[in-house]
Amino acid sequence: MASLSEEVLLVVKRVRQRKQDGTLYLMAERIAWGPEGKDRFTVSHLYADIRCQKISPDGKAKIQLQLILHTGESTTFHFSNGSTALKDRDATKELLQQLLPKFKKKANKELEEKNRMLQEDPVLFQLYKDLVVSQVISAEEFWANRLSLNTVEHSLSNNSKQEVGISAAFLADIRPQTDGCNGLRYNLTSDIIESIFRTYPTVKQKYAENVPHNLTEKEFWTRFFQSHYFHRDRISTGQQDIFSECAKQDEKGLKSMVTQGVKNPMVDLLLLEDKTLDEVRDCHGAGGRPTDAPSDQASETSSTDGNSRDSDFFQLPLKKVKLQESIEYDDLQGDSGRKTIALNLKKSDRYSHGPIPLQSQHYTTSQDIINSISIIQHEMRNYKPRLTQVMSSNAASSAITALSPGGLLMQGGGQQTINQLVPTDVQIELKHLYTAAGELLRHFWSCFPVNTPFLEDKLMGHLEEMLQAAYSKFQVWQTRRMMRKT
Amino acid sequence: MKLNIEGLLVYFPYDYIYPEQYSYMLELKRTLDAKGHGVLEMPSGTGKTISLLSLIVAYQKAYPLEVTKLVYCSRTVPEIEKVVEELRKLMDYYAKQTGVKNDFLALALSSRKNLCIHPEVSSLRFGKEVDGKCHSLTASYIRAQHHSNPCQPVCQFFEEFDAVGRQVPIPPGIFNLDDLKDFGRRKGWCPYFLARYAILHANIVVYSYHYLLDPKIADLVSKELAKKSVVVFDEAHNIDNVCIDSMSVNITRRTLDRCQTNVETLQNTISRIKETDAAKLREEYMRLVEGLKEANVARETDIYLSNPVLPDEILQEAVPGSIRTAEHFVGFIKRFLEYLKARLRIHHVVQESAPQFLKDIYEKVCIDRKPLRFCAERLRSLLRTLEIADIADFSAITLISHFATLVSTYSKGFTIIIEPFEDRTPTIANPVLHFSCMDPSIAIKPVFGRFQSVIITSGTLSPLDIYPRILDFRPVTMASFTMTLARTCLCPLIVGRGNDQVAMTSKFETREDFAVIRNYGNLLLEMSAIVPDGIVAFFTSYIYMENIVASWYEQGILENIQRNKLIFIETQDAAETSMALEKYQEACENGRGAILLSVARGKVSEGIDFVHHFGRAVIMFGVPYVYTQSRILKARLEYLRDQFQIRENDFLTFDAMRHAAQCVGRAIRGKTDYGLMIFADKRYARADKRGKLPRWIQEHLTDGSLNLTIDETVQLSKHFLRQMAQPFRREDQLGLSLLTLEQLQSEDMLQKIAQIAQQA
Repeated sequence: MASLSEEVLLVVKRVRQRKQDGTLYLMAERIAWGPEGKDRFTVSHLYADIRCQKISPDGKAKIQLQLILHTGESTTFHFSNGSTALKDRDATKELLQQLLPKFKKKANKELEEKNRMLQEDPVLFQLYKDLVVSQVISAEEFWANRLSLNTVEHSLSNNSKQEVGISAAFLADIRPQTDGCNGLRYNLTSDIIESIFRTYPTVKQKYAENVPHNLTEKEFWTRFFQSHYFHRDRISTGQQDIFSECAKQDEKGLKSMVTQGVKNPMVDLLLLEDKTLDEVRDCHGAGGRPTDAPSDQASETSSTDGNSRDSDFFQLPLKKVKLQESIEYDDLQGDSGRKTIALNLKKSDRYSHGPIPLQSQHYTTSQDIINSISIIQHEMRNYKPRLTQVMSSNAASSAITALSPGGLLMQGGGQQTINQLVPTDVQIELKHLYTAAGELLRHFWSCFPVNTPFLEDKLMGHLEEMLQAAYSKFQVWQTRRMMRKT
Repeated sequence: MKLNIEGLLVYFPYDYIYPEQYSYMLELKRTLDAKGHGVLEMPSGTGKTISLLSLIVAYQKAYPLEVTKLVYCSRTVPEIEKVVEELRKLMDYYAKQTGVKNDFLALALSSRKNLCIHPEVSSLRFGKEVDGKCHSLTASYIRAQHHSNPCQPVCQFFEEFDAVGRQVPIPPGIFNLDDLKDFGRRKGWCPYFLARYAILHANIVVYSYHYLLDPKIADLVSKELAKKSVVVFDEAHNIDNVCIDSMSVNITRRTLDRCQTNVETLQNTISRIKETDAAKLREEYMRLVEGLKEANVARETDIYLSNPVLPDEILQEAVPGSIRTAEHFVGFIKRFLEYLKARLRIHHVVQESAPQFLKDIYEKVCIDRKPLRFCAERLRSLLRTLEIADIADFSAITLISHFATLVSTYSKGFTIIIEPFEDRTPTIANPVLHFSCMDPSIAIKPVFGRFQSVIITSGTLSPLDIYPRILDFRPVTMASFTMTLARTCLCPLIVGRGNDQVAMTSKFETREDFAVIRNYGNLLLEMSAIVPDGIVAFFTSYIYMENIVASWYEQGILENIQRNKLIFIETQDAAETSMALEKYQEACENGRGAILLSVARGKVSEGIDFVHHFGRAVIMFGVPYVYTQSRILKARLEYLRDQFQIRENDFLTFDAMRHAAQCVGRAIRGKTDYGLMIFADKRYARADKRGKLPRWIQEHLTDGSLNLTIDETVQLSKHFLRQMAQPFRREDQLGLSLLTLEQLQSEDMLQKIAQIAQQA
């Protein structure tokens, strides 16, 4: 059956698929179906692959559920467990409804990211076409060491571009306009919706759960603006209001924040008062005598003592700092009182002795090797074909002519540049091949050091094949060129 | 720097000094020399605490026989800790300058909640629980039981302290609450009891008002403090209310119900003990015959049950025979309880004096005055005899016994008010018996009587002369100090009208007025657009704030304010408000800007500072009069009029203005700080109100800043903020509001300084 680590969320028996009875399993990350009596799945879809689900209308005799995948394929399940079939189907539907949006976001995000990269970078796009579409390497491999590197880059570039906050006035700005016949019109832009989502995360969740399965976008927002959640002064309209839960969740969040307490002891009003021994009002006693008497006092105290010291350790510095801050008079203090930052040395001997000149070495140490490998790795990671910065075409063509049969002697036609010599489409193709080959080489080099069986495999079988494919491609191009020439 | 204050060498741990600090020290020195009491008002943020500490420590070092101890009382735990840190700074400076190792012992004392290191007990959340649990581990009979039965849990830290802690004195040094805990952990001693023991020989003690003013606590904690101590009450503007609260008792039906269960438990315990251990009860009886003197020598661990007030004559006498046996006493309490229950079964408000109450109780249930006076002490003895561990459960009966003792001890200065329901909810029966103290001098009298110098000081004590009157003492010095300023960093403005010329006021008749509320809203809206970072707005009460905010919401004003700043609101829930405060500060820190809507007399107005960008403007919406319809207040006003010749209106205005000053003073915490103080009520412009503001605020109220419209306010504020935004350097201050030692010694300057203090 399923691997043990997978969590099964729902099991539905007597589900038919392609006229075969079986059992449907909803796992944490996928949905699977296995025929009766066999312990393997014949159908298994990751939630991320599923575009949407469809159900048969309520009145129909056959109770079915259809899953449509991103690839366009679909799978239909027929619930045939007599009386409970409808209930089974609805349970499945409900669960899927909750699960799908989560994975959709994840899948979409990755897809979007890839899409964006391809669109932003024509060179990459070309590479993708050359290598993936022509099946030299698989798509996964192509992205494998690109995505990670790009997300890093991406986050870096994001940091420089500061995230835009929520306008303070956005709530005031969604003023309704009366449309003249007892109605209100709200003008929503995507910015406002984004702001609403960021201000009220629970609304976003509701949106993901309900739109477009249960409600249209318009209906959703109409309900939102009618809800008491938006109009805090309106009394809850009852169960139908899908936002009543939001308010409750907010409340819960606030409560938990309040019970956590504040970090800054100077603003903690609970700690302000120092009044003891006054009349007890709402204390129902601490529950009589302590029954769980520690049998071994000494060990008990020492162990818990350590704990409490720990908690103090985390709490103290902030308190100390705040206290010091609050008693400081910066104008009374002389200049010498200015705060300086203490030099924090990990190895003070290195600081006092200074660098020692290395003996000249004629052999490569293991450190050198590691360094060079890391340099290669670094270079490979950041490798980008810089087509504009190669040799100028003049220099290139003169070199070619010099090396061509006749060499320097063939002065006559020598000065023709290559872009005059070769038709543009051939040039472009050559360029693409060059970058594609470069990318393959990058893959090749990035396999070093070969420290996993996977990399070894890739290097030995795989890459060689790829390079072979590239060569043959080049061959094809070469012959085509020759053919054209002749 | 080293200062010469009229012949006294004072070490001051800074390179510069404010002129008013010098002046303050002069006055303080004169007070100590005269061995009298003093009332000193100096604005917050002018280094009051360090001036006090520097001078008194210097005095202690110079005349060790004249002043043996400094008892510094402050109001909140953070304040207490701040004082100790300033003291540490001073002592470090001493050590550095003189090269002599510090031989002073200074320590902070706080409740068990803040000092306990017992792993189980200290993890409890509420102070009450900590006290109760601690008692159940450290009471003397519990420990006696532990002796015969090792399974009975006791607190190892207390045992350890009790065994050796008293012989070895705590070494000289500065011990803040955390330092005490560290020390306790190292030694394995209970820091709380260690501190309570150590205050007897410490040179400086810093603790909360209650340890001195609440007779129940003072009797146990501070009873043995030396007479030659100097007592300082810092932030003392509210000291009269603290005194009154510590002597007042409120009894609800719930208290009585719980008292009933307490009585039943006592009865059962007594009958059980009678069967098993009758000797114990007999022994107690004999003890009571001999008088209370011995019974009063309580072990310090039994402090939980203490008598609110023990007049000396009680201690000489024996407990009256009618309540001497345990059963008789419980019967007596039962009768008293029934009487109180009957009194609470009313439909109209009753107000009477203590003698009237005593007469009535004698007529109805034949309870005499004498046994009532012994009630608290008798109960204490009984609970000890019965070996009741969890005293927190017996709080109700303890409260009743305190009431009995107080009502029979004092014939003057108290009033009894029984209300069948709250004024706001006349349909819900909720009878309350208020036994209310009206004379703050009762609680503080022993302090003035016992200690040679008591200093009352705060940023807002105006008008100065009222405090000696209501606290009934005779000060040798009364002075108010101004803040010398190189630039006018505070800007008090009185807004009296909206742009529509409608008067702005929280006066009862017009407070619901639509126009007033709208104008208040517009004021906040306009200010939110021009003031950077944080604004704090104070309302006169929670209800008023709720009404106004609801109204602003309906009018859409709130939305528009939110365009400029985030809004936070103080609620009656302390945990919630703490969270709001933290988020408020966060919003001020990150530049988003925020508004805190708060309430005068609330926790925030009393305990939280809004330094620098946390409070660039304070808006006081209305005059924060106390709720005048309260019967307790009316009784108090009457008492003030009859006893101290203070007119009702004078006291009410004084009380309102001290709270208003407290609120607006929250924003200015030093000379480098700056802030707007906006009084949004036309009544502030009147001389009788204005004149009661502290001098350091009044000085900056010109005729041009009275009765402004919102527009004018905005113009003036913009101008002020623009000026304040200019760089402010030390050179700008030097010689004016900041002095070097040489500047201080010049003849000119000394003359100028003499003008800073205004004697009342």
